Amino acid sequence: MSSQQIDPLQHPEVQQASLRGYISGYGVTLAGLGVCLLITNAHFLSPIALLSTISALALILLIAQAFLFFGLDFSQHNIWKTFSVILTVPLFVLSIGLTVWMFHELNGLTMLPEMPGMPMQPTLLQ
Amino acid sequence: MFVHLQGPWSPLFGRLTLDSIPYGNPIIQFAFAVTVLGGLAAVGPMLYYRKTGYIFREWLTTVDHKKIGVMYIIFGLVMMFRGFFDGFMIRTQQVMADGPNSPGILEAQHGYLPPSHFDQIYSSHGTLMILFAVTPILTGLGNIIVPLQIGARDMAFPTMNAISLYLTIVGGMLIMASLFIGDFSQAGWVGLIPLTELDFSPSAGVDYWMWAIQISSIGTTLNAINIITTIIGMRAPGMRWDRLPIFTWTTLSTSIIGLTAFPILGVALALLGADRYLGTHFYTAGLGGNLMLYTDLFWIWGHPEVYFLVLPAFGILSEVIPTFSEKPLFGYITMVAATFAIAGISWAVWLHHFFTMGAGPWVNSFFSVATMLVGIPTGVKVFNWILTMYRGRITYTTPMLWSVSALILLLVGGLTGVMLANPAINYTVHNSVFVVAHFHCMVLLIAFTIFAAIIYWFPKIFGFMLDEKSGLRFFQTFTIGTTLTFTAMFALGFMGETRRLDYLFNPQWQPLLIVEEIGIAFYCLSVFYFAKLFYMSIRDRALNKAGPDPWGTARTLEWLTHSPVPFYNFAVTPRVHQLDELAWRKSQGIDHEMPDHYEDIHMPRNTIVPLAIGVFAFAFGFGMVWRIWWMAGFGLLAIIATVIFRSFTPDHGYIITAEDIARMEGRPPSGIVNDTHAPLPAMEEKVTP
Amino acid sequence: MDAHAASPPDNAPDLWHYGHDGNDPMAMKTLGFWLYMISDALIFGGIFAAYGVLDQPMGFYTGPTAAQIVHPGAAFLQTITILSSVLAYSLATVAMKTGNKNGVMLGIAASILLALMFLGLELNDFATLFAQHATPQTSGFLSVFFLLIATHGLHMIFGVLWMLVMLIQVPRFGLNTDVVTRLLNLRLFWQFQASVWVCVYIFVYLRGAS
Repeated sequence: MSSQQIDPLQHPEVQQASLRGYISGYGVTLAGLGVCLLITNAHFLSPIALLSTISALALILLIAQAFLFFGLDFSQHNIWKTFSVILTVPLFVLSIGLTVWMFHELNGLTMLPEMPGMPMQPTLLQ
Repeated sequence: MFVHLQGPWSPLFGRLTLDSIPYGNPIIQFAFAVTVLGGLAAVGPMLYYRKTGYIFREWLTTVDHKKIGVMYIIFGLVMMFRGFFDGFMIRTQQVMADGPNSPGILEAQHGYLPPSHFDQIYSSHGTLMILFAVTPILTGLGNIIVPLQIGARDMAFPTMNAISLYLTIVGGMLIMASLFIGDFSQAGWVGLIPLTELDFSPSAGVDYWMWAIQISSIGTTLNAINIITTIIGMRAPGMRWDRLPIFTWTTLSTSIIGLTAFPILGVALALLGADRYLGTHFYTAGLGGNLMLYTDLFWIWGHPEVYFLVLPAFGILSEVIPTFSEKPLFGYITMVAATFAIAGISWAVWLHHFFTMGAGPWVNSFFSVATMLVGIPTGVKVFNWILTMYRGRITYTTPMLWSVSALILLLVGGLTGVMLANPAINYTVHNSVFVVAHFHCMVLLIAFTIFAAIIYWFPKIFGFMLDEKSGLRFFQTFTIGTTLTFTAMFALGFMGETRRLDYLFNPQWQPLLIVEEIGIAFYCLSVFYFAKLFYMSIRDRALNKAGPDPWGTARTLEWLTHSPVPFYNFAVTPRVHQLDELAWRKSQGIDHEMPDHYEDIHMPRNTIVPLAIGVFAFAFGFGMVWRIWWMAGFGLLAIIATVIFRSFTPDHGYIITAEDIARMEGRPPSGIVNDTHAPLPAMEEKVTP
Repeated sequence: MDAHAASPPDNAPDLWHYGHDGNDPMAMKTLGFWLYMISDALIFGGIFAAYGVLDQPMGFYTGPTAAQIVHPGAAFLQTITILSSVLAYSLATVAMKTGNKNGVMLGIAASILLALMFLGLELNDFATLFAQHATPQTSGFLSVFFLLIATHGLHMIFGVLWMLVMLIQVPRFGLNTDVVTRLLNLRLFWQFQASVWVCVYIFVYLRGAS
């Protein structure tokens, strides 16, 4: 291994820090979450539509952050980081998605349906 | 505080009292005697020959991947012996306690183990064998071989490598402590919920199990990070992705599983820990908890985990079989593709461990199909190995015997696995010993490949061959034991024997149980031959010295180094031109070419930090188990402080000069220790530290 | 093994590699840390899976529902503070490009203050809930709610600790390779906290409120 001293500040990972990228990431995330807040408070979407919309916006914001904050791209320098994230995303989809589906089916098959007179509704928090 | 603890608690000792020590139990007394004798046998010679300084300097503080790997393997073999002994106790209890007229001795009504003790034994058998025997041995093999196969000098993060080792050992030490201080979990290696909740398991047993796994899992995750970074970033020039040996490819995919799946286990156990320590309701049977959540989270980890175990075994087969068939591995690209297909699909099959728990036909069908899909890449691999052997020049050395037998076990285990993947069949055999026999076939094939690997690579690391005759006897007795025990077990599964039973109600099972016990007797004999193998080989080591390529037909880069491998691996980094670089060099007649000059090498320095972190981690674990808060807090803060302190005193290693390398290369290799420290017998030159 | 082999023929391939071996230790350290962040992301993934399971009527038991305890408007203030903290640190690494040590220190200090503000708001939120007898021990849903937020908060606390250590190391060692590598890893860690917060805000606060 070489013992020459290379200036660490010239390393591509240091130099990739971008003022424009960070401020844009900040702005985009804040705006995106603000939009989600407004949509939620306005109550004009059905629950399913609302969930789909904010989930989609979450995905868009995460991708934007991947690009603007983490600097992920397909350059030779960042390829492994990008590649590892892309390969990990299906694991989230599988573990969370299949879990939610499985429990939805399980609850339908094993849990008692709510009937009048049964104290299933939680009490209101005072 | 948040939970209702049964029994006393004091600020100084937590839940620990003198009553926690099982003085009166004769089986524990026996275990204690064996442990003390074993410890004396290990430590005694060290003290007698005054080697404590050497052991501390060269082994306990090492960051050399080879020595760390050797320690992993030694630790794993010791734990495997204890796990085997647990298995022996299970088999003996079941053969004795069959039928209402079966005798009872000691404190048991039938057999010799009361139910609570029996439950602890099968729980520790599973936990030890999977997580503290097979995993460390495979990790150790990867540690030793992967850097050599890619032409690197060490792993990417040598100190972190040692930390991973110590965290794994700490987990094992906690389980050993549970033998003599308190008890162990009675809820199986899986941790059956809600049995593991504090109300149903009020003693420290489940806490031992939980913290042992959590602490060693951190070690496993860190090791995964290390291996992935090493394989990506430290390959020798010319070692392109399409020239990587298959064992390195499988270790890479295994580490990806280790990186991504183990965090889920951490969550599953952390939530259980929250229930047991903070009184939360993640898994409780009331107040909004969900029992199935544990099962779900555990098996999301649990299924990738078994592929974490089996993929390195497949990698070992892909190294041993071509060497002893004198042919290149058939189907390199399909092997790599199949490896990653297995790793990927393994994330979508976990529900097959609990088909019967009510998820319904649609969910069951999805997971059933996904499980059967995994059989396809596995089949591809089996055909590739068979086609490698086809028309090869096969030599049945002991590693080859182990490997071919592993293939047969894979066939039986795999086919019974596909049977189990079918929910209709699964409903009838779930929780029977048919399942137990299936997965024992799979883990035994992993054990077979482990023995193949140890015998195969031992000469490379230690410089002398293992005795083939004792090795053959070991193989024969172990294989006969396996066949007897598990063939009988498949039959008993079909006859309705369920698992985890300390008392069996059906005397008609007795003949098959006796067959299983004879199988265990053969296993006991094999342990004797295993010990004889090492004793005789070490005794006769001067007669069986190994050169760089002791088997004669090796193909991959690690066989280019001296035997034993010097601590710096390669004197000069090799340049790689082909897949199976050594085989290519042999074909060109240049495999004996040495470098004509040397350059300075930069090596990492030994450090006490990993050992210290291990000690603090044990303090944390033990303190958490017994709720000795000051000890746990001290352990945790000490680890954080050590990490921070170390960051202020960075150690960038040391340089070995080209002259020292030339000198060390010019004389016969003396072992895997750092030769610059040891005084040289016939030379009086100054060594450069 | 013959240690004095004859020199290879002239047209022999290059068997050995001399000189710098092409490793980039800084890149390997940041890759290693990135891989750790992936495992950390999966910890959050597991907790989100648990959240998905327990966030439903049986999980609420007799305690409050999600809608009754989350206040997305107030939580937006937390969003602003954490994103500002991440921005401040990111700007510190921009200053690092030109070796501007004072800029780096300023950015880190601002980031710490904003992080402490975030944690203060969160603890205040917890205190209010505890006063209303909504504790982790009340129901399965509350257990997972508090765990998810607390896990994120714990990461923030470790990040602040790391930043304090860097505030000592930057003036003491300057921007040498080790310090720069640690600052890069901390950037990865800190930006990741913002990503996790996006998921927490959307799937806990906003989804809970609807």
